[in-house]
Amino acid sequence: MQSALDPAGGDAQRIYWLTVIMTVGGILIFLLVTGLLLYAIFAAPERRAWLGDRRTIIVGGLAFPIVVLSMLLPYGLTVMRDTDVPTPGALPIEMVGEQYWWRVRYPADQERAEFSTANELVVPVGRPISVSVTSADVIHSFWIPNFGGKIDMIPGRINRLNFTAERPGIYRGVCAEFCGDQHARMAFDLIALEPAEFEAWRVDQAKPALEPDLPSLVRGRELFRMGGCGSCHVVRGTEADGQFGPDLTHVGSRRTIGAGQFPNNIGTLAGWIANVQHIKPGARMPSYGSLTGEDLRALAGYLESLK
Amino acid sequence: MNAPELPKAFERGEEELPNPLPRPEGEFEALKRAWKPPRGLRFLTAVNNTYVGVWYVGTAFLFFILAGILALIMRVQLARPENDLVGHGLYNQLFTMHGTVMMFLFAVPAVEAASVYLLPNMQAARDLPFPRLSAYAFWAYFVGGLVFFGTIFFGLSPDGGWFMYPPLTSTKYSPADNADWWLLGIGFIEISAIAGAIEIIVGVMKTRAVGMSLDKLPIYSWAMLVFAVMIVIGFPAIILGTLLLEMERAFDWPFFIAERGGDPLLWQHLFWFFGHPEVYIIFLPATGMVSMIVPTMAQTPLVGYRLIVLALIATGFLSFGLWVHHMFATGLPKMSLSFFSAASTAVAVPSGIQVFAWIATIASGRMRLTTPSLFVIGFLFIFTLGGLTGVMVAVAPFDWQAHDSYFVVAHLHYVLIGGMVFPLFAAFYYWVPAASKRALSERLGRWVFGLMFLGVNVTFLPMHITGLIGMPRRVYTYPVEMGWDALNLVSTIGAFMIAAGVAIFLYDLARNFRFTLEDNAGNVWNASTLEWLPNGTYNTRSIPSVVSRDPLWEQPNLSKDVEEGRYYLPGTVTGGREALVTSPFDARPQYILQVPGPGWQPVLAAVFTAAFFLLLTVKLVFPSVICGVLAVGCVIWWLWETDPGPVRPPADIGGGIVLPVYATGPMNHSWWAMIVLMVVAGMVFTCLIFSYLFLWLVNPGAWPPQGVRIPDWIWPSLSAFLYCASGALVAVASRQLRGDDRRSPRSVPVLIGVALPLVCGASAIDLWMQWETGLSPSAHAYGAAVYAITSLQIFFVLTTLVMGAYTIARWLAGRLDNVRRTTFDNTMLFWYYTAGQGLVALLVVHGFPRLTGGL
Amino acid sequence: MGGRRTGQILLMLAGLIAWAVQFTAIYGVTSTLCGRGWADANLLGLEVVPMTILSATLVTLAATAVALIWSFRNYRLAKHQPVAAVDDFVSHAAVLINGLSIVVILWHGIPAFILPACA
Repeated sequence: MQSALDPAGGDAQRIYWLTVIMTVGGILIFLLVTGLLLYAIFAAPERRAWLGDRRTIIVGGLAFPIVVLSMLLPYGLTVMRDTDVPTPGALPIEMVGEQYWWRVRYPADQERAEFSTANELVVPVGRPISVSVTSADVIHSFWIPNFGGKIDMIPGRINRLNFTAERPGIYRGVCAEFCGDQHARMAFDLIALEPAEFEAWRVDQAKPALEPDLPSLVRGRELFRMGGCGSCHVVRGTEADGQFGPDLTHVGSRRTIGAGQFPNNIGTLAGWIANVQHIKPGARMPSYGSLTGEDLRALAGYLESLK
Repeated sequence: MNAPELPKAFERGEEELPNPLPRPEGEFEALKRAWKPPRGLRFLTAVNNTYVGVWYVGTAFLFFILAGILALIMRVQLARPENDLVGHGLYNQLFTMHGTVMMFLFAVPAVEAASVYLLPNMQAARDLPFPRLSAYAFWAYFVGGLVFFGTIFFGLSPDGGWFMYPPLTSTKYSPADNADWWLLGIGFIEISAIAGAIEIIVGVMKTRAVGMSLDKLPIYSWAMLVFAVMIVIGFPAIILGTLLLEMERAFDWPFFIAERGGDPLLWQHLFWFFGHPEVYIIFLPATGMVSMIVPTMAQTPLVGYRLIVLALIATGFLSFGLWVHHMFATGLPKMSLSFFSAASTAVAVPSGIQVFAWIATIASGRMRLTTPSLFVIGFLFIFTLGGLTGVMVAVAPFDWQAHDSYFVVAHLHYVLIGGMVFPLFAAFYYWVPAASKRALSERLGRWVFGLMFLGVNVTFLPMHITGLIGMPRRVYTYPVEMGWDALNLVSTIGAFMIAAGVAIFLYDLARNFRFTLEDNAGNVWNASTLEWLPNGTYNTRSIPSVVSRDPLWEQPNLSKDVEEGRYYLPGTVTGGREALVTSPFDARPQYILQVPGPGWQPVLAAVFTAAFFLLLTVKLVFPSVICGVLAVGCVIWWLWETDPGPVRPPADIGGGIVLPVYATGPMNHSWWAMIVLMVVAGMVFTCLIFSYLFLWLVNPGAWPPQGVRIPDWIWPSLSAFLYCASGALVAVASRQLRGDDRRSPRSVPVLIGVALPLVCGASAIDLWMQWETGLSPSAHAYGAAVYAITSLQIFFVLTTLVMGAYTIARWLAGRLDNVRRTTFDNTMLFWYYTAGQGLVALLVVHGFPRLTGGL
Repeated sequence: MGGRRTGQILLMLAGLIAWAVQFTAIYGVTSTLCGRGWADANLLGLEVVPMTILSATLVTLAATAVALIWSFRNYRLAKHQPVAAVDDFVSHAAVLINGLSIVVILWHGIPAFILPACA
């Protein structure tokens, strides 16, 4: 599910073939060199005598690498030129790396309104994507192995990564630059949808949060308000407008929680709220262990209902 | 003074040796007495290269074991997914310490240590030219290194990765002292590495066997020369980097804080400008060792000596064009990346040359499969594979995938274990007979090799795949169902195989290693080079002249003649320790260097230096300053005994060669050391100017920022005038010290005394006028950069102040005259450097913003 | 070390020094022009970044070629005259180093033909 050897986009495909060619070439050279070494050690002296000469070094150590590398270098540069190329009309997405999650923003596009989400990058199949990345704190690195290389998220700089998803599916991305305590638990999902599904998703995401329709969910929303969750999280359409943590307007629609750590359901949400500092110590959110089981279920239920 | 020409002495046959037999009564006893090591507790004050070398190697190996244990803990943690053996906090400290200790406390010191032991012996020098400097380097490293490692037991170890990228390591995200331990601890151990490098450069260039011209220099010496030059060029970048980051942490000068005009990428440039050459700094000495071992084991001269020299020099240069390949994913323009891609590919060629040279040598002889040979063969296997994956990651698009994944972990361990650890183990097995009563066990050696070779491949081969299927580096755990479980378990098993190999090696060492010099196991391999001559603490009884690269093979009676004292300088002419200084190109004898003997000064200076940095780390500023002053005091005490002057008339060393026992000017060994030190200082300064320009580049329209005024041009002009004037006064003083009649004119201290306030005034004006404009060092990176340049200059001026005062003191004590003037020469060179650096600093700080007009 | 010796060493390292100059020039210019967005400037209708790379490559290549020819002449001379072994060694090393440098400098010119200036 997360592999550079299973390319799902053009760039990853190109790099995959580069990898294959270099691996095969490398193995052949390795066999040649070690073969010669063993021959030099074990062959009969008169048979190996031709090898014990300056000519061996000139041919094997100087001419051969120069010829091989003179071919590899332009090939590598060509792959580099064709990889990660900005395309006009690409879908712009902005991502900000934070300790230890991903803020995702879809800017307004003609009549489509802007909106934010977190830890989930949803893209249409076949349309070029241009992700602008930066960081809110320390350096992170954005990497979805199935779609190509990584790009660092550096405070004060905006980098871009361009790619096109060619197969619908769910892929996993990770932070590749060590970013502190929970670097190991900083992942996200990339969901590639057919264009029509993507448009539908986008329209849904831009809407304000759903109103709770059951008493327990109303209770959950009340707990959310009273607990001060809104000082860090935004739920569009309610008074919660904190900017510090992930946007929760449609948190129920996401596949995973905790930056790609757990499947998203009431149980994991409740566990997360009560035990963040146990499950992901060092994360910026405190544990809310004092909530009663019933309250916790109501709160988690409310969040889960925010489809 | 000119080098005495040698009309016939060393390019003729062996029959007429320089000194006749029998040797005079008591000559050998006097030599032994001069080199006798101190006994009892005073043994710690020994400075001779053999003792310091062995301690140094032992300490480096201790850190290899310790850092290896850290790695084992990490491998156990990663053996299965979601393991909770160690938490994230400890794990992050573990991998930071593993990398840091392996790189800074094991790899560089180990190769430097080996050369402290081997280099003089291989060149038949009596000792290194500055034995107290190597003792200082060792003790500073020993004390500092152990304390630094000890932090792991208190949870105080740095945890930002061995690369310490800000902003993660800046005060905001790492408020505790952990990061300071890295910055001060490692910054200071680099100073020890530089001290060693200066020693090695002067040692290779100036203290060789007679006639060991550049074409006859052992490849190991070539490798160490290139190694030391690379340290001198590369390490200043990291020293400056640590200085800047520590200033940011301590005083809030925003070099790396983006909101205030800094840039985190500046650190990465400085770090990797050191960090990539570092890999070759570790690798080249190891190839030098291999080039010594292979000819011995194949019993044939090395094939392609000149090509190997080419490879070493080319690697030395090209490795400085690779640093950005650690930054391929930082979003720099593809064009910029491509230059580094080209250089990274190019550096493969010299490595190819070396590999094929060894293959050709093996083919031209008959390889005996001893333990050293096995390690060399293992090295060739592992390193070739690591080199090939190195070419792969040099291709940027592939690196975008591999970067910061386990693929790179695999690659770097193949290169470093293959390229450095295996040759080092080969070297242990190969050279132990030169320092021990018994050789190490060949039978156990095979087990050590077998376990380590299999272990390395079992551990790291799977990691190539682990990385390509998506596992990033530096994660303390990983989820189930990622497909990484089995591969990680295999890697963990491999790691324990390596550990088992190392454990058997330790057992072998304990059973067979018995340190000795006079009755060592001897030339058990029938090697061809001079370290296998019979020796003692004085190294060889007499200093041979050599006519080939394989003297022990081509001069059959050499051992016997050297031991009987038939070659040069068979005794001591001053009654103390001496070394023969030779010319750098063709190794003609130039003068007899009076080598300092044991003393507490280097030990105490090192302990106080370490205490200064370590106490500073824990913010005990006052005790720290006291230790700093004591350290400087000890250094002055130590220097006071040096620069002895011509204590006797020129002496006959044999073969009709009469040499002075003292020399000054460009022939002098400390003149060379001073030049190298100036290169180090110049590199620190160059890196600082680079940082200034880099910060300009990332701050369009804000250089200087709004509301900052550049001081009026009159002030920098005055400052520049003062620098020039002080330099001129010192030049006049130097003219006063000409001639051979041993005068010590009164004008010299007066001139220096006048020049000192001038040079101090120059930098004081510079600082004061920036302060006057209200420029704040913490408001914006511009101010930080300006004050950094000014501060560095002030540091140099203060050092000049101490050196000037010291020179005056020497005059007052009657230890300075126009012949005995090495102290003055050193001060003079440093003075010129300081004044020159001051002028360039003024030009940049005041000229550049005017030139660009705030662009 | 006398002037002649310094000259020999400089000639031996000439190609690598030329490479260092080329490398600094092309990297410095590309970074500055791209970093400041000045790369769109034209020099007589030619793009400034590739032109800088090409001219730096040609200049340093020419310098290295001169060093190579010169050191090769020294080496040939050394073959026909009795010279000290060390001089023979240095002149031969000079030929090898300058020769390799030609290849390395050429490689650093290739990107100008393949890659866009600043993307």
